[in-house]
Amino acid sequence: MAELLLDSNIRVWVFLPIVVITFLIGIIRHYVTILLSSEKKSDLQQVADSHALIRSRILRENGRYIPKQSFLVRKNFFNNEDRGFFKVEKRESQAKNPMTDPSMMTDMMKGNVTNVLPMIVIGGWINWAFSGFLTTKVPFPLTLRFKPMLQRGVELVSLDASWVSSASWYFLNVFGLRSMYTLILGQDNAADQTRAMQDQMSGSAMMAPPDPMKAFKAEWEALEVCGHEWALEGVEEELTGGIIQPETIYLKNKFA
Amino acid sequence: MAQHISWEEARNILRKLRDDQVRDGDIVVKLWEDVLMDASHKLGNELWSVYEQVCVAALDCQRLDIAETCIEALNAKFPNSVRVKRLEGLLLEAESKYERATELYNAILEKDDANMFARKRLVAILKSQKKISDAIDKLNDYLKKFMTDYEAWTELCDLYLSVYDYSNASFCMEELIMSNPHNHLFHQKYADIKYTVGGTENMELARTYYAQAVKLSPNNVRALYGLFLSSTNLAMSSGKGAKDKQLNGKYAAWAADQIRIKYKTQQSEEQMRETKVMESIEKLLESLQAVG
Repeated sequence: MAELLLDSNIRVWVFLPIVVITFLIGIIRHYVTILLSSEKKSDLQQVADSHALIRSRILRENGRYIPKQSFLVRKNFFNNEDRGFFKVEKRESQAKNPMTDPSMMTDMMKGNVTNVLPMIVIGGWINWAFSGFLTTKVPFPLTLRFKPMLQRGVELVSLDASWVSSASWYFLNVFGLRSMYTLILGQDNAADQTRAMQDQMSGSAMMAPPDPMKAFKAEWEALEVCGHEWALEGVEEELTGGIIQPETIYLKNKFA
Repeated sequence: MAQHISWEEARNILRKLRDDQVRDGDIVVKLWEDVLMDASHKLGNELWSVYEQVCVAALDCQRLDIAETCIEALNAKFPNSVRVKRLEGLLLEAESKYERATELYNAILEKDDANMFARKRLVAILKSQKKISDAIDKLNDYLKKFMTDYEAWTELCDLYLSVYDYSNASFCMEELIMSNPHNHLFHQKYADIKYTVGGTENMELARTYYAQAVKLSPNNVRALYGLFLSSTNLAMSSGKGAKDKQLNGKYAAWAADQIRIKYKTQQSEEQMRETKVMESIEKLLESLQAVG
């Protein structure tokens, strides 16, 4: 196959501009996010609820390290039929409609303004301004499967898969500049697109605060079935060497 | 500090102390005064965290002048910051202007209901005014909201101990044991409290928890001695069966042996003779055999 030769103007006017543009956009994104970010205030009730849930979980996990009496006192505090914490505390369902809560609306807006909008606008603009160029060639052969990834915008069947088109070069830059941002902006920068995308995927689950009543119910059930077996029973014997280790009983005659 | 410390070294030491949350006011204040203060502009954005660190350190060392300059500088940079407000509160407390500090913390709480720091400082103010029962009430209110703040549980335990309320103190220790069942000091302290309360049941609990502490940390001599004392106490108390007595005698003898080994490996012969602990142990063991 005949060797393709790229015009050096492509390097100066397509290859490098794309790198510079994506890089600068990242930097701007970082500062815009900082400007727009609003401090999240935690609601006292929500904090208290989560503390209670954690304490109950710890009680279930480590309750065996305290005497039975003390364990039952705490279990009673949480689970008493009439006065237990999980029975008495009533919370409104927190699953609010985002449309009715203006602060959530603005938060979502800000998220979209800094993440999605620039992505669409810049991506569209790059596609429009620099479409149809081959910009560079990766210095190793690739299989045909890579063609849609590396040659977006240039659908030539006969072209070798190691050539990279301008649109693909843009995407490679968007995802590949992360370490550059960490170098320049520090560890927790907001310029990184990939993280924003991940946030969006797992975001829906994280954003909606869990319904505390449901969590209380689940924790109540878990604690209800949780018994108490004192872990310190016979620790003196164990310490002074009085106890027979179970292995010696069971494995005694295995090879006899 | 005798040797000269370069600017970079000083900065790195402060950074390390800050990251590890070490509270050593003397060093911080000294480094700040001797090395960093004259070239503070070189710190860049780190300067503000350093100001905060130095401010707290200066308050620890009763160097109110330094603290004041730090707060002034921070206030100029961050006029409405809650974090600077808390430093101001600390300064007011250091000057014993408790009422104004209380006002300031209450103002913070009005703005941000869930501010743990301000709530805890309010308790601390009550404590430094020696209003222990008020402090206990306040801390209890706090713990009703923030149930898993184990520093607060520790503090509450100490407050209860200072008013000899052992049953509530042991409740706090139980919380702490659950928070980290592998910390031998929690077990030891719990046993201490139970031992102090006394009575056969509590003494047995004390013995068990001392044993657990020894199991977790064989070098805890206090727990060993506690195990020895509680076992001897149980062995000598009446009302228990002969088997129980024998078992307790065994535990006591084992603990005594362990303590003896510890002292022997650590000390020379002469020191051993000076050590009064072993004498008391021998005496108790003898009386134990006399009873048994």
